[in-house]
Amino acid sequence: MSPVDAAATNVGAGNWRGLGMWAWLLFRIAGIVLVVYLFAHIGVISSARWSGHSTLNGAFTLFDHPLFVLLDLLLVWAVLFHALNGVRILLMDFGLGIHRHKAVFWGCMAIAVLTLGLFAFKAFSYIAAHHTGGLGGLV
Amino acid sequence: MTAQVVGPTTQGAPPPTSTGRPAPAGRMRGAVLDQSRGGMWAWLAQRVTAVVLIVGLLTHLVATHVFNLGHLSFLNISDRLGSTFFVVIDVSLLAAAIFHGLNGARMIVLDYWLKTRGSRLALTIGLWVLGSVTFVYGLWALWPWIAR
Repeated sequence: MSPVDAAATNVGAGNWRGLGMWAWLLFRIAGIVLVVYLFAHIGVISSARWSGHSTLNGAFTLFDHPLFVLLDLLLVWAVLFHALNGVRILLMDFGLGIHRHKAVFWGCMAIAVLTLGLFAFKAFSYIAAHHTGGLGGLV
Repeated sequence: MTAQVVGPTTQGAPPPTSTGRPAPAGRMRGAVLDQSRGGMWAWLAQRVTAVVLIVGLLTHLVATHVFNLGHLSFLNISDRLGSTFFVVIDVSLLAAAIFHGLNGARMIVLDYWLKTRGSRLALTIGLWVLGSVTFVYGLWALWPWIAR
């Protein structure tokens, strides 16, 4: 094997431990969750076509419940984790950050957490304003 | 830049290919490509759709979960899809998300199962059929809003 081939075989191999492995595993789990959600989402939106506007509006009323707003927040986290770890993978494809992948990972996660904060602020102010029982309205 | 060797796996025999056969001698590059399992075009399309999804999904999520949280309804969607901008965003999201999601699922399946060329091809064809049907179905679902 030539040195070039050896190097090409090994790109990223050192990342296959510890943090890099957990990032990969959670990336896949979030990906599976998002595929399942995608099909559920298409199913819900298409309900308007099968049984009219009121069915879809009824679904949205259900989704306005605090429990579903919080579940949506979890979904947004799955999107942000998957998207920002995906950015890290794209950077690695361009040869950027392979040897500092942990720093890149935490940088991406910082952006993900800040963005989640925006959605969380909106979600919690919505729950506080529309459900006088606050989080007690969960049950 | 000349890549450095960063791990211990260069020692010994070349890794087996996805079909379980040993890589042909002197053709490491081919073996490495084969180990990516999904093919070059799927790999490239996965990255292109990733960029579409990052831009489109952020727009979609901010529009629905920040600006319209608590207001979502049939008519609320009508308001948004009255603009060409959101029609382009939502339809490209539909196509990109279906491809990206099904190809991602395909990569997971190919990592663990389906070791023969025929079964891998059958999976790919099956997922293309499923994805195409889902895209047409999704477009049909959106049509009352788009075609108003």
